[in-house]
Amino acid sequence: CNDELDLDPKAILSEDQISTPQDAERFVIAAYSELGNDEINRPFSLWPYGNVRSDDAYKGGRDPGDGQHFHFTETFTNLTPNISFFDELWFHLYVGVRRANEGLRIMENFTDDDYPAKQTRIGELRFIRGHFYFELKKLFNRIPYLDENTDPATYKDVTNVEFTSDELWEKIASDFEFASEVLPQVQSQVGRADQIAAFAYLAKTRLYQAYEKGETHQVTGINTAHLQEVIAAADKVLASDHALQSDYANNFLPGPFENGVESVFAVQFSKDDGTTNGRLNFGDMLTVPQGIGCCDFQKPSQNLVNAFRTDENGLPLFDTFNQNNVDFANNTVDPRLDHTVSRPGNPWKYQTDLIVEENWSRAPQIYGTFNSLKENVSPDDPGFTNVDPFYGNTKTRVILRYADVMLFKAEALIELGQQDQALSLINALRERAASSTTRLVNADGIALANYELEPYQPGVNIEWTQANARKALRFERRMELSLEGHRFFDLVRWGVAGPVLNQYFSIEQTRRAHLQSASFAIGTHEYLPIPQNQIFFSENKYVQNPGY
Amino acid sequence: QQTITGTITDAETNTPIPGVNVLVKNTNRGAVSDFDGIFTITATSTDTLVFSFLGYKTVSEVVGTRSSINISLANDAQALESVIVTGYQTQRKRDITGAVSVADVEEMNKQSAASPIAGLKGRIAGMDIASNGSPSSPTTIRIRGVGTLNNNDPLYIIDGVPTKAGLHELNPNDIASLQVLKDASAASIYGSRAANGVIIITTKEGKLGEVVLSVNAQTSISSYTSITEMMDTQEYGRALWQANVNAGIDPNTNSIKYRFDWGVNQETGAPELNKVLIPEFLDQQQTLRSSNTNWFEEISRVGVIQDYNVSLSNGTEKGNYYTSFGFFKNEGIIKTSKFDRFSLRLNADYKLFNDRVVIGENLSITKTSEVEGAPINAALQALPIIPVRTFDGTGWGGPVAGMNDRQNPVRLLEDNKQNDYDFLRLFGSFYVEANLTKSLKFRTNLGLDYGDFTARRLRKRYESGYLNNPVNRLESSQTHDFKMTWSNTLNYNKTFNDVHELSVLVGTEYFWANTNSFTASREDFVIEDEDYTYLDAGTGIKNNSGFGAENILMSYFGKVNYSLLDRYLVTGTLRYDGSSRFGENNRFGTFPAFSLGWRISEEEFFKDNVSFINELKFRYGFGITGNQEIDNNAIFNVYVTDYPTTAYDIDGSKTGNLPSGYKLIQNANPNLKWEESMMSNFGLDFELFNQKVYGSAEYYIKETSDILILPPYIATLGEGGNQFINGASMENKGFELSLGKRSSFSNELQVDLNANISLYKNKITKLPSEVVNAYGGNGADQNILGRPVNSFYGYVADGLFRSEEEVVQHADQPGKDIGRIRYSDLNGDGVVNADDQTWIGAPHPDFTYGFNANVSYKNFDLSFLLQGVSGIDVINDFKYSTDFWSVSETGSNKATRLLDAYSPTNTNSSIPAISLTDSNFESRFSTYFVENGSYLKVRNAQLGYSFEEDLIKKWGMKSMRIYIGGDNLGILLKSKSFTGIDPENPGFGYPNPLLVKTGFNLKF
Repeated sequence: CNDELDLDPKAILSEDQISTPQDAERFVIAAYSELGNDEINRPFSLWPYGNVRSDDAYKGGRDPGDGQHFHFTETFTNLTPNISFFDELWFHLYVGVRRANEGLRIMENFTDDDYPAKQTRIGELRFIRGHFYFELKKLFNRIPYLDENTDPATYKDVTNVEFTSDELWEKIASDFEFASEVLPQVQSQVGRADQIAAFAYLAKTRLYQAYEKGETHQVTGINTAHLQEVIAAADKVLASDHALQSDYANNFLPGPFENGVESVFAVQFSKDDGTTNGRLNFGDMLTVPQGIGCCDFQKPSQNLVNAFRTDENGLPLFDTFNQNNVDFANNTVDPRLDHTVSRPGNPWKYQTDLIVEENWSRAPQIYGTFNSLKENVSPDDPGFTNVDPFYGNTKTRVILRYADVMLFKAEALIELGQQDQALSLINALRERAASSTTRLVNADGIALANYELEPYQPGVNIEWTQANARKALRFERRMELSLEGHRFFDLVRWGVAGPVLNQYFSIEQTRRAHLQSASFAIGTHEYLPIPQNQIFFSENKYVQNPGY
Repeated sequence: QQTITGTITDAETNTPIPGVNVLVKNTNRGAVSDFDGIFTITATSTDTLVFSFLGYKTVSEVVGTRSSINISLANDAQALESVIVTGYQTQRKRDITGAVSVADVEEMNKQSAASPIAGLKGRIAGMDIASNGSPSSPTTIRIRGVGTLNNNDPLYIIDGVPTKAGLHELNPNDIASLQVLKDASAASIYGSRAANGVIIITTKEGKLGEVVLSVNAQTSISSYTSITEMMDTQEYGRALWQANVNAGIDPNTNSIKYRFDWGVNQETGAPELNKVLIPEFLDQQQTLRSSNTNWFEEISRVGVIQDYNVSLSNGTEKGNYYTSFGFFKNEGIIKTSKFDRFSLRLNADYKLFNDRVVIGENLSITKTSEVEGAPINAALQALPIIPVRTFDGTGWGGPVAGMNDRQNPVRLLEDNKQNDYDFLRLFGSFYVEANLTKSLKFRTNLGLDYGDFTARRLRKRYESGYLNNPVNRLESSQTHDFKMTWSNTLNYNKTFNDVHELSVLVGTEYFWANTNSFTASREDFVIEDEDYTYLDAGTGIKNNSGFGAENILMSYFGKVNYSLLDRYLVTGTLRYDGSSRFGENNRFGTFPAFSLGWRISEEEFFKDNVSFINELKFRYGFGITGNQEIDNNAIFNVYVTDYPTTAYDIDGSKTGNLPSGYKLIQNANPNLKWEESMMSNFGLDFELFNQKVYGSAEYYIKETSDILILPPYIATLGEGGNQFINGASMENKGFELSLGKRSSFSNELQVDLNANISLYKNKITKLPSEVVNAYGGNGADQNILGRPVNSFYGYVADGLFRSEEEVVQHADQPGKDIGRIRYSDLNGDGVVNADDQTWIGAPHPDFTYGFNANVSYKNFDLSFLLQGVSGIDVINDFKYSTDFWSVSETGSNKATRLLDAYSPTNTNSSIPAISLTDSNFESRFSTYFVENGSYLKVRNAQLGYSFEEDLIKKWGMKSMRIYIGGDNLGILLKSKSFTGIDPENPGFGYPNPLLVKTGFNLKF
């Protein structure tokens, strides 16, 4: 009778059925897949955490009560460890880590002989694991670290304070280092991480690691060895086949521009692919303006728009840009403004027959009339998909952009006091931006604004001291990469999030009432709280971040 | 041989009883008494006549020399002699030593619910039934409280075939008897699936010598009892103005198109609203004209229930049959929602080989169909300014920019009304019963349960305000469910020396369940006609999915009943169950039980001294029952493909079939074993004062251990952290009392009253330490252990701040302000934070009770049922929307309660001030949302009239009764603190309607 009760499970697999290299390949695909498994309340683009939490954007939507948790993230009020959205984000990032670890564990069942691609796939899995840990680290700071050798039965005993912050960075860096050693320089499939992507992420990791932090996350020192590693890794990228796009706009357009020369690593999305709505960019679905979809989240701040103003030399107004709102009739601006921010009266995504109107904004009196352009597409794009009531698209999400890597290197050079070598890197971006105005015209071919942008010319329009170079670098990062999810984490890396944001709030709340109660607590708000549930599951072995 | 005649009368009322079976013992000769109670039969002087009739004690008389035998049958009020099905056998009620409740089927069926079980609410001590007003009347049954963290649903045995599926697929008119086995000693014969109690249902069969055609018809009308009062267009405008003014924001900048004529009072400095200005149209195209829609009214209607039933039965010496046809249709009080059921039944048996072998079958075929939908939440959220339809009446109204993104609830219903499912269920058994010897009976019973579910769901294209979807999509799905139960039993019954009664049962059972399902979909249909929208007619994207499951149970069981002198009763049972869901190490579980009874009233010393007690029985039972409700694959490491979440466009081709992967979703636990419940039951049955007063009392202790749970887990495990474990323990203690009184004031007036009360105390006694806080608690000194399951953990709302002084004096609470909720700083550390939560309620009543009365006077009969729950805490989910502007959704409508919110001119209100954002974090779970859900309801009442037999005889009828009645006729009591409408249904569930009905019962 015992045999009668021996049933094979239905419609599932058990581990002993997974035995061929083809099966192992599927674990790698599953790990990649998680990169795109985000959704509106836990976007992996981190727009609420990288952009809205900084001086670049407001939450948007109907009003502060709409997606209220992100209003609290925006204003640093009512941030408590039991906000479920933080827990979900934490969980889903660890899903990525676990998928990578499962893949790495399965790899051990094969030899290099029967699975020639094994080393490459291990490199890819470690790259993906490194990516998810990087995201966790920059959001939560102190995180539990587990690799393929950790027995799942002991996971709950691994605390978030087992490793110091620096040790965590070292572990993340070691994944990218390993990947950079085993991955081929170019992969035949565009979605896979290659050696250049690994070097780019290594440069990023070493840069974050280089800033040594104190109790209140202030910078206590800078590790020059790590800065040298940034330069070494970035140089591999800069020497590769990757390069800047001729037109800045090409980075944010779908179709033939995707996975272009400037994209070092990107998340792939698709539709008509056998899933219900397609594997769309679900995480960014809320940011479509109401005029062409829903729901008008991620509204560029007035401060950001003002920051694009340039002076008569075509340089940023480092200290004075926010004294007055930019006056488009009389002021000149950086062309990157109109690639980044949509304004009423301008074409939407360079589409001169589709003009943005004020009523595209859902709550102009609260959040103004600017919209975020980079992650969005034209409604005519074949990837633009109705997921009632939302609209998604299939444009790739760039994780690492060549320009970003150039700025990693420039930042490292400046912090090493070698600002002169950084100049050309920054100027290359400014020159590219200055020439990216072809698409910024209306139906009559007239420019959308007075664009004026010049490179830095030491001794002519700027004194290129380390301090000025640092200022220029940080401003350049904001202009080049705004609304791409980096700003808040940059501020925290530089140890300036508190002063910058409190200064921002003091002005911006006179323009925007929803920021009235906003206030950044230095030493606390640099990181999210460790989710209370996870502290419970760890039986209080996890230690909460300070201030929560 | 001689002809014997006589009259059969009721011993109490002396009225003749028609329809009594008269049988010559050990022969097939029988007769039935006529309308005057007169019977005629031929017999010899040595024959014994057996007179039997449902509800009366059976009497045997030796003919002797008599040619006329008049018999008065004693009303079997307490049904001591009545036979009860207790699991693979029947027992006399007086021999039962476990906790078994017998339902009054006739009373049960007085309620017009699709599910017969719904009519038992308040009628059986220890059985709680939760239901809502949905047309298919989904019910949740809890026998003796919540016994496990796992599945708490009881096992149903219908004509010997086990099922856990919905009883709304059973025609209530076909039920002959329904028993509830509440304690382990009674239920453990069903072993591994009996821990939540067992409900045994037997369907009708034909009666010997009686052709009965029965026709029942009933129509009911149902309506809302009351509706939450939502704001109208003007009122919403006022609240919107207030929200903005309170936040210091110019209300005329709101993103909805409301504008306000307002100003600041020069003297007081207070803002004053003069007029709410409503735009004529919501959109530039002028298709959406501003409205004043009451969405609850728009989605509701007067419901209609129709219930028709015809049955025909007959019994002969060689066999009998019962066949019936039923049609039930409930068009609910939410528009377009409906449930209908066609049912056919054929029960038959036939005697062969000198009546030593009986072959029979029970078969029911039901086809049910349902359109679901109760957009209560959508109706609550939709703004009143939105019109139902566009200005020209052809399109849908809907939100415009600035409003929430919730759907027009009327559209939701209308666009869904074609989306019913069809469920065909064949349920029945085939059996052979052979009397091997006089005392030994063999029975083999093959039960089949086949369910065939099909549905075509069309998502129509639509445009509704800014919400739209230009692509329609059809989803066609089928599930085929097959279950088979094959049981074989040997039953031995013998009385030795007239003092030892022994019955022994041994048996085996094999259960196999198999499911196979698939779904296919297609987009783009030119025409949205139900007759057109089949998959082939679409032109767009195709998609499909499907799954399968299988499990097997294999069981051996035995039972011994021994009775000495009719007063000392002993029963022992043992069941040995194996399940495919468990690993080799623990595949089989043993479920033993025993029970003892002492009918003290049969003792001479008792009989001699206590005359007013007719029957007194002490019972004790002990047993272990099991639960195996876990995933079929729980013992395996489970990897799945799950294409939608493991596929990836690694080639960057943007479209087409993608490479996909595997993911681990479950860790194996090869050591899983049965969940066990151990229960002790102390019982007492009594009958007093010539059986006029009767009742029983029960006390039990139930300890459930090794509860099978799938606990939440630490996030670092990712998707692969699920693992079933035997991880928890729970304890229930309870008390139940049932009392009845039967009074006969004259031949014409009879009053039957019965009442029951039950209570239980639940506590969780063990949980794995890492998940103990997943059920509430602070990770330090507070957790669920020792507390009732599902206890509420949250903050204590200590009224509102009413002065600046109060605000300043209170602990540090971010967002505190005048008019806001003050939360208690429970640990006194000067800060209100997560550490200030505590236990603020439990969803368990102090006690539940029911009271049923039946009065008959001449030809009239009247019955009513009161049912109540006392001392239960409920979470009033509506309050998140009725009492706050920004706790749920600022862009959604609110109840008129909010107009009474705290303001400088309304300082006595207990409702917090209207606030544009929830900066005081009032959405936190607190005592503000916990209310006392006690109630007492008139569950059912019915008034009937039976026509005089003389009158209807002319029409060829045996009986004819007409009646009027109603269900849910009113709430007699509810807690003053309850702010919602119906404490029985405090959330967004389908509302319980008030129901008025009329109908007739005919017998030919």
